[in-house]
Amino acid sequence: MDYLGQDRREGLGRKANSRVLLFLLILVSIFLLLSSLYSAQASVFQKAREGVLDATSPILELFSGPIAAVNNAIGYVSDYFSVLEQNKALRDENAELRQWMNEALELRTVVAGYEGLAGYQAPPVAKPISAYVIGESNDVFAKSMIINAGRRQSVESGQAVVDADGMIGRIVNAGANASRVLLLTDVQSRVPVYIEGADAEGILVGRTRARPAIAVIDSPDEIEIRPGQRVLTSGAGGVLPRGLPIGLIEEGNGDITVDLYANYVRTRLVRVINYSFPAIDDASPLIDGASPAGAAGPESGRADARAAAGEG
Amino acid sequence: MGYRAENLLNMLKAATPTLLGLFGVLVLSLPLRLVEGHLPTPIIPLVVVFFWSVYSPDYMPSPSVFIIGLLQDLLTGGPLGLWASVYLVTQFVVTSQRSYFLGREQKVVWLGFTLAAVSASLMLWLVMSLMSGVLLPLGGLLGQMAATILIYPLFGAAFRELHSRVLLEA
Repeated sequence: MDYLGQDRREGLGRKANSRVLLFLLILVSIFLLLSSLYSAQASVFQKAREGVLDATSPILELFSGPIAAVNNAIGYVSDYFSVLEQNKALRDENAELRQWMNEALELRTVVAGYEGLAGYQAPPVAKPISAYVIGESNDVFAKSMIINAGRRQSVESGQAVVDADGMIGRIVNAGANASRVLLLTDVQSRVPVYIEGADAEGILVGRTRARPAIAVIDSPDEIEIRPGQRVLTSGAGGVLPRGLPIGLIEEGNGDITVDLYANYVRTRLVRVINYSFPAIDDASPLIDGASPAGAAGPESGRADARAAAGEG
Repeated sequence: MGYRAENLLNMLKAATPTLLGLFGVLVLSLPLRLVEGHLPTPIIPLVVVFFWSVYSPDYMPSPSVFIIGLLQDLLTGGPLGLWASVYLVTQFVVTSQRSYFLGREQKVVWLGFTLAAVSASLMLWLVMSLMSGVLLPLGGLLGQMAATILIYPLFGAAFRELHSRVLLEA
C-alpha cells in the first residue's frame, strides 16, 4: 500500500507520459468522432473495422464456445424446474401446429396448380449461409453481434440475418472470416417492412429499446393497425427478400411498436440470407414498361436501400 | 535470472494495466448474457483507466488509453473515437484531481469513481443523442454504469494487490 501513488517511473509511460500528449490524443479522438459522423462509410474506417473483425474473430471464437456451453447448462437447470408447464405448453402448441401443417399441405397443392399455369416465373431462391454468434457488443447505444462467416462464405454487407424465430438484423461489415450484424434494435437500423392484414408498408426504426417502432407508414387507403398483426420485410429497395418474419404489432395507433420474434438473449445459430433481386432483363415480359417500384434494377435498388438503412 | 528474461518480465509488468484494459474490451464484446441478459456487462476498462490514472499514471500512459478506447469502438461497432474520448477525458479529469485522491480512504475514491462514471455516461449519452438526432433512452446506460460502479470495490482491491505485490516487486 505504501507504494501506491508514488511516481516510480517504471510503467510503460516512463518516457512518454505528458499532459500535452494526453490533450493531443483527446483532440485526435474528437476529430475521429466528428469525421465518422460525416463519413462513416469511408473506406479507411471500413477497412479498419473489417481488419479488427478478422484479427479478433479467432479469440472471440475461442471464448464464445465455453460461454455458450455454460449459458446452456444454466438454461438446462432453470428449465428443469419448469419442465411440466413447458411440456403442457409444447403439447398444446404441437396440436395447433399439426392443424397448420394440414392447411399448409393443402395450400401447397393449390399453389403447385397455379404455378403450372403459363407465364409463371419462380422468384429467385435465397441461399442461406449458416454461422454462429461469436461476439456481441455489450454497449447500450451500439447493438450488434459478430458472426463467424465472412466474405469467404459469400457474406456481403446489406444481407439479412435470421435465427430460428425471425429476423435479427443485417450485415454492416463483412470481413474475410467474420462479419458484424446490426441488430434491429440499434438506433441506426432501418428496415423496410409491411404489416400483414393492414396492407401498409413502412420503415422499422431501431431506438435502442427492446422494441423498435414503425416510423414511416405508406398506404393507399385508410389503415387499421391492430395489436397482434404480423410484421414482415417488404423487400422494398431490393436487398432483402420479401416476407422474412420480424415480429408482431404491439400497440395500435399512436406509437406503433413491434414485439420482435427474435430473442437476442438466446440467439446463437443464425443464417445469413444471400439473396439477389431479379434483374430487370430476366424479369417476366409482363412487367415490361409498367415497371413497378419493386422491379428496379439491382444496383439502383441497392443504393436506395443503403441510403434508407443509413448503415455504418 | 538472465538479463534478457528479467527485461522481458519488466516489460510485461509495465504493460499489465494496458493488457487488463484490452481484456476488459474483450469481455465487452463477448456474448456473455449474464443471468439471461438481465445483468448488464460492467465496463471494466473504465475501472482500469480510473484506477491507474489515480495511483500510478506511468502504468497507464495516454497512448494506451487511446488504444483501449479505439479498440472498443472498433469491436462494439459504435462511432470511432467515442470511447477513446470518454476514457481520455476521464483520465484528464482524474489526473488533475490526483493529489486529492492519494492517501484517501477507499470509500472516497469509490465516490470519485462514481462521479467519473456518471460524467462518462452523460458524455456518452449526449454524443450519441446528438449523432442519432433523437434523445436516446437513458435507462440501459444507467444500468450498465450502476453495474460498473458496484464492481469497483472488488476490482479496485484486486488491482491494489496486483499493483503493490506484483507490479512494483523488484
